[in-house]
Amino acid sequence: MTTRITIDPITRLEGHGRIDIFLNDQGGVENTCFQIPELRGFEQFCVGRMAEEMPVITNRICGVCPEAHHIAATKALDAVFGAEPTPVAKKLREILYMAFFVTDHTTHFYALGGPDFIIGPDAPPSERNILGVARKVGLEVAGEVIACRKRNHEIITFLGGKSIHPVAGVPGGWSRPITAVERDQIQDTARKNIEFARFSLGLFEKIVLKNPLYLEMVTSDTYLHRTYSMGTVDTDNRTNFYDGMIRVVDPDGTEFVKYHPSEYREHIAERVEPWSYLKFPYLKKVGWQGLTDGIDSGVYTATPLSRLNVSEGMATPLANAEYQRMYETFGCKRITTARYEPIHHRLATHWARLIELLYASERMLELALEPDITSPETRTIPDPSCFTGVGIGSVEAPRGTLTHHYETDARGVLTRVNMIVGTTNNYAPISMSIKRAAEKLITSNAPEETILNRIEMAFRLYDPCLSCATHFLPGKMPLTVSFRDSGGGLLRELRRKG
Amino acid sequence: MTAGTVIIGMGNPLLSDDGVGIAVAHAVAERLQRTMKLTVTELHTGGIRLMEAMAGFKRAVVVDAMLSGAAPGTLLQFDPADFVTTKNTFSSHDTDFATAYDLGRMAGVSLPEQVSFWGIEAREFDLFGEQFTDEVAAAVPGAVDRIIAQLVAWEGEA
Repeated sequence: MTTRITIDPITRLEGHGRIDIFLNDQGGVENTCFQIPELRGFEQFCVGRMAEEMPVITNRICGVCPEAHHIAATKALDAVFGAEPTPVAKKLREILYMAFFVTDHTTHFYALGGPDFIIGPDAPPSERNILGVARKVGLEVAGEVIACRKRNHEIITFLGGKSIHPVAGVPGGWSRPITAVERDQIQDTARKNIEFARFSLGLFEKIVLKNPLYLEMVTSDTYLHRTYSMGTVDTDNRTNFYDGMIRVVDPDGTEFVKYHPSEYREHIAERVEPWSYLKFPYLKKVGWQGLTDGIDSGVYTATPLSRLNVSEGMATPLANAEYQRMYETFGCKRITTARYEPIHHRLATHWARLIELLYASERMLELALEPDITSPETRTIPDPSCFTGVGIGSVEAPRGTLTHHYETDARGVLTRVNMIVGTTNNYAPISMSIKRAAEKLITSNAPEETILNRIEMAFRLYDPCLSCATHFLPGKMPLTVSFRDSGGGLLRELRRKG
Repeated sequence: MTAGTVIIGMGNPLLSDDGVGIAVAHAVAERLQRTMKLTVTELHTGGIRLMEAMAGFKRAVVVDAMLSGAAPGTLLQFDPADFVTTKNTFSSHDTDFATAYDLGRMAGVSLPEQVSFWGIEAREFDLFGEQFTDEVAAAVPGAVDRIIAQLVAWEGEA
């Protein structure tokens, strides 16, 4: 006999998720189930279209990370058309991508993740938002966040050819070169981004790390799961968001596998559970043991924290110094000269996100300082004899590894489309974090708002984009937590109005 | 200083009725192209993005699909004072529109003096497709007329 708890839906998150928490006879948490209404017909929508439409179709799946879909789709097309992009084309794509990462990570920290730390996890929701952050740390921070978004959106707009939904990616390259004036603007923006990222890390240190209560919250086992970690690495095995090999390390930090993104089907399988239409990806060669962690469970995580866990330090100097500081704060031992034992405390994902913010800013400047960055050679024109008809493109989206896989007929008409989006990778760990939070709360007499927010915090650290994960849409809904018995009978209901 | 008018169509044009706000925004601008200077913006998500899309304009009209339980095709107008949310004006990755608007004010962003929200009740919003359902398609001309009437009235006040 089990009891069911329903949380429906999650505020401050994309989509209309409903959480069911099943209790056993002893009142413990038996399992958690995270249901999301699904958008239907995406593959059918795409099949029959010309493959080259995909960068502008997929960037409309979701308004949150169109840039990630645009770049992944463009990379998949490079492979479909057998056209290797020119060096400057790769750099321009990566600059746009870094500008996007800066805005996305900034917004997450100040609007979503930060409020729990800066205002406090038990503060009323009316204060626990970006306005509360600005009131607490200084009104000028509001202006800084808006200015950061604005200067990076300007880069995305002129590089991408259109605001919000980029159109510049083409098989084999990028539609337009940049001028010297634009290069200077990118450099100036990147320098400001670096300063802003350092300011944000300073804020995190001052408010979280120096507060024993919050530090305890971050390093406690409430959200600790010893899973495998995944991330994209460059030729030196350091984090890269735009391109590289997929590296997976086991819970102890030993490299489990490193593979080219095009080989994903050999390494990733998807588990279908009868109670959810989201599929749970897992490491094929480890196997599915259910929603559990450890070295024998194929559950892996693809987040800012996991990317750092697989990386031999960061490729830029300031971010690398912060990287070392984080692992040393957690008392992790060095595994190699550059890498530490993985951190499995999920709330550290917020910290990792800020380190990535700094890395993206530094990387943007590095790229904009490349001598050939204004080169007009932005495109390799596809040669029909090189056409392959199959393309797998992958990037690190802010929320995890994003893979686009297209197959076409001889004319380039799509016959098959598959995607594994960032959030989907983390479906199992998200469910596990909800379960852990529920276990801690179920026996406590915590106030309703505390229960609601602590369960939301389990989600929020992953910044799940349910819009992508299910091809679903946003909407603000009130949050309801229902405690049910095995027959569906309502035992207790907590409700927050939207 | 703010100037001009922006009409913001919200939603996803690939998801059946969810794209109705975008279609209406373009239709309004097309009808008014000889008589009024309008900037048209398409947006998928709300929150801070929506606030940013209005920055610098004197007036803003937002058109979005909604799911209020009314009959599909129903058109409703909201003023910011009584506005809660339509389908896409909230962003789960940052905040709701009201908070974003306050944030903009706090950050010194020039925001419109007049903002008007329009919601059109959707029927099919989770199926990929570029067609509206019949009720929603039938509601488009009326929505365009009413929004134009409001824009003309605003011009008259100026």
